[in-house]
Amino acid sequence: MKLLVPIKRVPDPYSKIRLSADAAGIDATGLKYEINPFDEIAVEEALRIGEKLSCEIAVVSIGDAACEEQLRKALAMGAHRAIRVDCNETLDSLGVAKILAKVFEREKPDLVLMGKQAIDDDCNQAGQMLAGMLNLPQATFASAISIVGGIARVTRETDEGQETLELKLPAVVTADLRLNEPRYVALPGIIKARSKPIETLSLSELNVSAECRVRTTSLSAPPPRAAGRKVANVDELLSALRSERGLKL
Amino acid sequence: MNPKAAAALPKGGGFLFACENEPFTPEQFGADERLMADTAFQFAKNEVLPLLDRLDAQEEGLMPGLIKQACELGFGGPDTPEKYGGLGLSKAVATRILEKLSLNGSFSTTIGVHQGVAQLPIVLFGSEEQRMRYLPRITSGEIMPAYALSEPNNGTDALSVASRAALRNGAYRLSGTKMWISNAKWASLFTVFAKVDGERFSAFLVERDSPGLEVSREEHKMGLKGSSTARLILEDAVVPQANLLYLEGEGHRVALNTLNIGRCKIGAMALGQMRSALHAAAKYSKERKQFGRTIASFGLVRQKLAEMAARMFAAESVLYRTVALIDSAFSAREASGDEYDETRKACEEFQIECSLTKVLTTEALAFAVDEALQIHGGYGFTEEFPIARLYRDARVMRIYEGTNEINRLFAFERVMKRGLLDALRDGAPTCPAHEYLILAARNLDASKPLGQELTACMSDLTLLTYAQQSANLRAERMRRENVQFADFGVDAAKQFEASATGWAAARCAEALARMGVKQNVSLSSAGQPRDVADAVLESDGYPL
Repeated sequence: MKLLVPIKRVPDPYSKIRLSADAAGIDATGLKYEINPFDEIAVEEALRIGEKLSCEIAVVSIGDAACEEQLRKALAMGAHRAIRVDCNETLDSLGVAKILAKVFEREKPDLVLMGKQAIDDDCNQAGQMLAGMLNLPQATFASAISIVGGIARVTRETDEGQETLELKLPAVVTADLRLNEPRYVALPGIIKARSKPIETLSLSELNVSAECRVRTTSLSAPPPRAAGRKVANVDELLSALRSERGLKL
Repeated sequence: MNPKAAAALPKGGGFLFACENEPFTPEQFGADERLMADTAFQFAKNEVLPLLDRLDAQEEGLMPGLIKQACELGFGGPDTPEKYGGLGLSKAVATRILEKLSLNGSFSTTIGVHQGVAQLPIVLFGSEEQRMRYLPRITSGEIMPAYALSEPNNGTDALSVASRAALRNGAYRLSGTKMWISNAKWASLFTVFAKVDGERFSAFLVERDSPGLEVSREEHKMGLKGSSTARLILEDAVVPQANLLYLEGEGHRVALNTLNIGRCKIGAMALGQMRSALHAAAKYSKERKQFGRTIASFGLVRQKLAEMAARMFAAESVLYRTVALIDSAFSAREASGDEYDETRKACEEFQIECSLTKVLTTEALAFAVDEALQIHGGYGFTEEFPIARLYRDARVMRIYEGTNEINRLFAFERVMKRGLLDALRDGAPTCPAHEYLILAARNLDASKPLGQELTACMSDLTLLTYAQQSANLRAERMRRENVQFADFGVDAAKQFEASATGWAAARCAEALARMGVKQNVSLSSAGQPRDVADAVLESDGYPL
């Protein structure tokens, strides 16, 4: 069995994000980068599946050489090999899905396991688009996965409660927060990862072009949170919301 | 190695008259080394910090469980050779890992002793058979080792131990009392120092279940309450002859070289706790409001934060420069030579730097926990905030692994014994503190005994030179290579230069007065202090 885990390099969610001086992007000074946390959960899940079944686990990332740092981390966690699709362009979700579809055709994995969304742009689209493009069954927001005899049984978290689906492999599954807690990257794993391969593919080798139909027109920081105040009771709260916020309650 | 390459290697005490071209700095760590450090940091933050109250209450099994877990991740012996179950990493990387594990004193001491003084005697001086027998079990966390040198009446005067050993019927019999044994409660193997026939100072590997060995009650300590410190009582304890470590009569080499490397481990442990102190201080000063403003906006609070960060920057610069020098000495060992002799030479080469690193890092920590507590006001004096524990835990660091007094005396005595004084007198200054050191050295009458007070003055000047030079070289390199937080590095080095120059001037004046030299020491070359408080507040602590 073969698992393909796409991962994205994103700013560390615990670092302070500031806009660059021209507000066209974020200020990268002093910024740490990490594997997108949902993707890291997908890597962890792939490793756990691999511990039960015999699997080859490949991770793939799209970006410049810098994202090899995140690929190495996934290799250190236990993935077997890595692919970097060399690309310096900004992509939208559809552009990402198109590239991943080409990687899928090349790798022919039984399961694509990826984060439900990236914490930098919060699009939550690439997995769905990829499944649609490849005409594969999909399960999003997975909180439990088990694989038996070519079928993936996936529990998803929905607003109404949990839903369990059975998907015929190959399929695309996107990971939610409660799927698992990623392991610590053990030091011997980091040393082993030094000799694991990272293959670099160009867009032309994949016969695909970088595509971005969405243009960012402006970025702004969230307004600083105003100081709160205490109200004595619910009535006072309701009247404050009516008079100060204009809410019809 | 050819003689030319040997000549190009850095030598111990080299900073006294020149700078190496490019001292190692933490900015040089590669991506996978940073990942290792990050695993260490995450482990300390997520697994250790939530348990501090329970660890301090000595909850049964809790600390050994953490150590076992840490060893499973590879923290059992980062710089121990792979052959013996370690990871074979450089001292520099191992130091970074220990630093990042050291957010709390008790855990830091326990894992630091495990990786350091308790394991090093076997790594450095064990026979192949002894190494294979014990090290894989130590690095995997199956057993914990401990180091038993001090005695009730022999602390600083360590080599005058009263413990005795005698060889009878193919086994040594050891008798005596050992004190301040870290990790004693959990240890299965003790490196015990005793004099064979009352004369030949020697080291022995003593297993816990040896007949005649008893671990006495825990000391009731002021801090590090989550760590174990107990006495070891040996009454005719039976130790197989094969457990003599290295040679009879050569125990001082085992003891002193272990401590030498151990002093750098202390540096890592101090730096990790400094990070916690700075974080606590920055966080509190942004939360606490007085007179309608956060106290972070007040000049005197900002000054404290800036000075803490500057001293931490200098301490960090010194620590990583020193451990990388030790790495260079170890990698220069000649394969053809006597392994133990070569190892001893490698350990000894930078003993001046090791002692200075121990003093500098632990005193920077002492300053940091004291000022961080002060920023907390009355709340700092309660157990409501983490700073009280950090303050207590830090105190012992100026005492163990050689008191800072003995390390001060040792460092400058080594400068004299190594014959570095003449080169120092003729040298050109590399930083303002160095000018004062050279001035004092030129007036020093080396034919007379200096006395401890004057030696300490000279040692402080040596220390400040090493620190100022290291911080400046690092800042310069950060600027040149335009690394992240290069501005902070440059400003922190400037801030340190300003305060250290003032201190150096005072120590120089005292040195000259003690020599009876009448000369005014003017504070001419002090740098301009820079305010690095903004960077500290912005990063919720030490930015690097």
